[in-house]
Amino acid sequence: MNLNPFWSMSANTSRKQRAEEEQSGHTDQRASPARTHFGKKVLPPIPKNATPITKPPSMGTAAHSANGTHASYGPFYLEYSLLAEFTLVIKQKLPGIYVQPSYKSALMWFGVIFIRHGLYQDGVFKFTVYIPDNYPDGECPKLVFDIPVFHPLVDPVSGELDVRRAFTKWRRNHNHIWQVLMYARTVFYKINTTEPLNPEAAVLYEKDIQLFKSKVVDSVKLCNSHLFDQPKIDDPYAISFSPWNPAMHEEAKERMFAYKKRPEEYHRGTQVSGLSWVKPGSTQPFSKEDGPPQS
Amino acid sequence: MMASVVANGNKDGQSLVLKGVDPETCMIVFKNHWAQVVKILEKHDPLRSSSTLGVIGLGGGAAGGPRFGPIPGDEASAVQNYVEHMLFLLMEEESGLGGAMGPILEFVVMENVMERLFVWSLRREFTDDMKLEQLKMYEMLVGQAHQPLLHHKPILRPLMMLLSSCSGAAAPAVEAELVLLLHQLCCVLAKDPSILELFFHTSEDQGATNFLIFSLLIPFIHREGPVGQQARDALLLIMSLSAEDERVAKHVAQNTFFCPVLATGLSGLYSSLPTKLEVSSEEWHCLHKEEWLRMPSLVQFLNSLEFCNAVIQVAHHTIRDQLLAYIYNGFLVPVLAPALHKLTLEEVMTTTAYLDLFLRSMTEPALLQTFLSFLLLHQHEGVYILDTLVSRINTPFQLGTVSLALFRTLIGLYCEDVMLQLVLKYLIPCNHMMLSQRRVVRERDFYSGSAAKILALTPSCCSPDRSPPPLRQLESILFSKGGETPNNSSNTDQQGSCSDEDDGSGNRCTIGSEIYLDVSYLHYLYDARLSISGCIRACRVWSAPYDGENPPPERYQAGVLEEPAPDGRQAQRRVLPPPAPPPLLPPPPRPQPMKELASFAQLELEWDDSFDACPVQEAEASVDPKPSSEPLPKHIQEMRRSAIMLVKGSYSEESDFQDDVMVYDLVAKKDVSETERAPQVDEAPPASPKNGLSRTLTADNAKNSLKAKVKGQTDCNGNLQKATNTSEDLLAQYEELIRSLVSEAGGKPARADGEVRKTAATEEEEEEEEEIDFTSFAAETPESEKPQSPVGAIQRFRSGSSRGNYALPFTGPFISVLLSRLENMLSNSLHVNLLLTGILAQLAAYPQPLLRSFLLNTNLVFQPTVRSLYQVLAIVKSQIEELAACRKDFSELITVAQHWLLAREASFITTDKTSSSRSSQYEGGKILRNSPPPKPKAISLDQTEVFATVLFSEFLKELAAIAQEHSILSHVPIEE
Repeated sequence: MNLNPFWSMSANTSRKQRAEEEQSGHTDQRASPARTHFGKKVLPPIPKNATPITKPPSMGTAAHSANGTHASYGPFYLEYSLLAEFTLVIKQKLPGIYVQPSYKSALMWFGVIFIRHGLYQDGVFKFTVYIPDNYPDGECPKLVFDIPVFHPLVDPVSGELDVRRAFTKWRRNHNHIWQVLMYARTVFYKINTTEPLNPEAAVLYEKDIQLFKSKVVDSVKLCNSHLFDQPKIDDPYAISFSPWNPAMHEEAKERMFAYKKRPEEYHRGTQVSGLSWVKPGSTQPFSKEDGPPQS
Repeated sequence: MMASVVANGNKDGQSLVLKGVDPETCMIVFKNHWAQVVKILEKHDPLRSSSTLGVIGLGGGAAGGPRFGPIPGDEASAVQNYVEHMLFLLMEEESGLGGAMGPILEFVVMENVMERLFVWSLRREFTDDMKLEQLKMYEMLVGQAHQPLLHHKPILRPLMMLLSSCSGAAAPAVEAELVLLLHQLCCVLAKDPSILELFFHTSEDQGATNFLIFSLLIPFIHREGPVGQQARDALLLIMSLSAEDERVAKHVAQNTFFCPVLATGLSGLYSSLPTKLEVSSEEWHCLHKEEWLRMPSLVQFLNSLEFCNAVIQVAHHTIRDQLLAYIYNGFLVPVLAPALHKLTLEEVMTTTAYLDLFLRSMTEPALLQTFLSFLLLHQHEGVYILDTLVSRINTPFQLGTVSLALFRTLIGLYCEDVMLQLVLKYLIPCNHMMLSQRRVVRERDFYSGSAAKILALTPSCCSPDRSPPPLRQLESILFSKGGETPNNSSNTDQQGSCSDEDDGSGNRCTIGSEIYLDVSYLHYLYDARLSISGCIRACRVWSAPYDGENPPPERYQAGVLEEPAPDGRQAQRRVLPPPAPPPLLPPPPRPQPMKELASFAQLELEWDDSFDACPVQEAEASVDPKPSSEPLPKHIQEMRRSAIMLVKGSYSEESDFQDDVMVYDLVAKKDVSETERAPQVDEAPPASPKNGLSRTLTADNAKNSLKAKVKGQTDCNGNLQKATNTSEDLLAQYEELIRSLVSEAGGKPARADGEVRKTAATEEEEEEEEEIDFTSFAAETPESEKPQSPVGAIQRFRSGSSRGNYALPFTGPFISVLLSRLENMLSNSLHVNLLLTGILAQLAAYPQPLLRSFLLNTNLVFQPTVRSLYQVLAIVKSQIEELAACRKDFSELITVAQHWLLAREASFITTDKTSSSRSSQYEGGKILRNSPPPKPKAISLDQTEVFATVLFSEFLKELAAIAQEHSILSHVPIEE
């Protein structure tokens, strides 16, 4: 039951997607790929699996999971790690990228990416992210496009994007799933041809850019023509598109815009139970002047 | 009355249903009746001319003449009958076109009917019965007339005369009727404020109080029972009227005793409360509704308090502010403050329980503000009330338990000011952590590392793997929900169906399918989510995020050291000047501290052992000259320590503490001495946040502080050790710290050097020491580290409180005292532990990064002298492991205790469903009720360590769940 918020969050995003994202104002191109390495120097290098300082004699018998503590709680840690990752994705507001975890497993996320300019302009590519179950200590998550896009770094058969080149070693605390998503976006704007998964695309890009372009256009067309197909994986939270249907979408769209315009109204009416008489900028209690005036 | 009208109507054969009856007919009937009445009236009118007398007096012929003699009963009842019919007709009359008076009303006004009737009743003996009759008459008229009557002076004036004749003492029946009528008038006023004007004017001839209705109600403010309730309701109507009508507000504030009567009435009612509560059980810690409902005096007090609350809510701000000022100056300061400092523990405990109840009863922020500013800023004989209350948490008696309950209430207010004074102001400067750690404050715990570390403290005897169902429902929860598979009757089925979810590329998408999970943990997560999100919502009104940046630590480095302005500033601002009417303050009814106890002031008592909680201070404060080596029960030790500290020097022989009574007495005396000595010696570090020692310490002093640091240092090694592996940065800091320690210890006795060397030892050595040091930390401070002479300790305390700069970080007395009680968890009774863990869990749910990181982030590296929750938990864990190792039956006892606790909770859940929603509002109270469930059979509740062990492992889950929920909740802007 504690997982509910997780799903409700994702349900939220799904609404956005269904209501056709193009209108929903993604003018914010500000988030830049340059932020991929924001690796702060983090102090707490204490291994997370560290056993407590005292070693209980009986500890040895207790099963240790990959996370290093009682096995019974390991899945909770994993689940919450993924929840944290997902909230981080939401916070990043990646332009043109939407994801939501599957209903069945937090280890599988459905996503879609909208390309707004460049060679792949107007492309709408659905994909799935697979997160290893020993996250965050395993390898980097996989990102597989539903339809193999014609791209040097996308496997022409499986549709898998070569993510590993960007995250040679997945480092906990430094690497986050939003970075993978960001990377997936970047590859469509900045083409890299070294060690390609699709040599044909790489060669064409280097040698015959015109042909490459036309192949890309074909690929984009192909992907977009399958936009309204049933999702590849049968899951209640899989992303599916449908043609604009005012009866179904208009209201959702309006709600989205209403929230954008007057977010504070959404807080109104919620019972505010907290108290404060501290003047902003002060650390003295009862420093506020507009408390009940005296005498 | 209506009934009598009806009855009379029938008797006379008059139609009751006037609808459809020709108004003219009604008028004729009315006039006829009136003519009859006038006849009788005039017959007995002493002012009438004698000629009339001759005519009418024919039939009478009684000696002395009828004019002056008593009125015959048949005539009186005849008038009564006529009047009833007339009133009935008047009531039923509809107003004319365009709101004009109906003909009957017009007649009544022209003939001045009402006034003449009033004079008639005066003419007769104006008995209570007569008053009652008249009051009922008006009550009926006002309440049931179809057209507005009060606008007409010939009706209003006699009403006012009647009302003023009813002021003063009267029979209960009259009072009840009077209040009923007043209430009705107030209802009319509330509906039609235009009448207000008339009320003011008409009563001008009534003297100073020209708002008679209001003045008449005031004496009933504190009345118990339905009459009082109705009077208060009526007053409230006027209060809400005052919010819109400046004149009413001004009148009430300037010309009436309303506010002083109300506020000082609280004092009067308070003084009639029992000074000592009969406590049903040791488990008792706060007043529940079932209890106070059985105490009439308390019910009465709460009614008045509730009324104050309501007045503050609806009244004009001038009235509100005046009332608050009177409550502060007329109740809190002169009555409640001394009551909180009474002589015996029982009395103080009772006052504390009352205070807790009051705080739980009020809802209006302004009233809460008044109470809270009293608690936070008022000094009673030089000591802040809050500091005194905090220090009492550590009393080993029921007072400590009740104080805990009070703080649970305070924390549950989500009040920034309270949290600031209790905890946050000590955390703002970020002195409690290493400088480089400040950014960690806001960091998110992505991988539940803290939760894992906290859960890893679970004692082996409580490991979920060892507890059989149903205690732990270990189930294979499938995070990859297999809900849609039809045959999910068993786990294996689900697993099977889920492992099929591979998309063909070999990606496994199941979490934890093969592991048995502790299902109860889900509940903790769920509760944590509710509690944190509620707290986040409540704290939206706060002025700052308290995230280590805002308020900026540098800027408030000094600010925190400042005492809050002497409470006068705030209190005076709030309270001055006493408004126009002379304050009716009753003399403070509390006895002054007894004179003979004054001698205790000379003993240089030290009472507050709350600073024991901080390692530094523990080293200094434990002045027990002969630390006992024999294992005494913890609570005895505790009592002994506080008692020794109480009379150190003069009263240091531990053998003298044979019974609780003596200690009890001492503690009580302490209360007096504490306040007496207060001006010279600061009560304790709690009073001033500067717990540490300035650099002007004596050598002895510095040595001790150094040791404390060293002690803390070794304790931190666990963290530091691991940190150094990957962070040179930290290593550098670590070295720097050691350097600073060494330099600080420079020129200190050799023994200190030894300590330093130990600290500065190589990593390998420390690694070996790690465990040893850790366990030794759990024990009391070694004897050798304790100060040799109690006198020295006192000097240190003095220097500590001399308002110099703080050299050492301190997280505040509240945290210290909580942690110190937590450390003694194994010897605490079950209910103390429930309260204690409840408070800590509530604190941990606060979203402010400073507080959250301090309590929950196990990666944060603290200053050596700062004790963290995690450290204390680790101490308790090692105590438990020790205990479990040497007691063979421990795991069976644990199982029994678990069963009993589960049954206990189940019984609360069922009773909770039946109880009102209001009581369930206080969630903390849910688990602790005063009716104890059946005692466990196979285990005595005295085996506190067994219950504490069970509770401890549950508490770990609770904390871990909170930490996990923080990792997702506290970092997302809440949007919906």
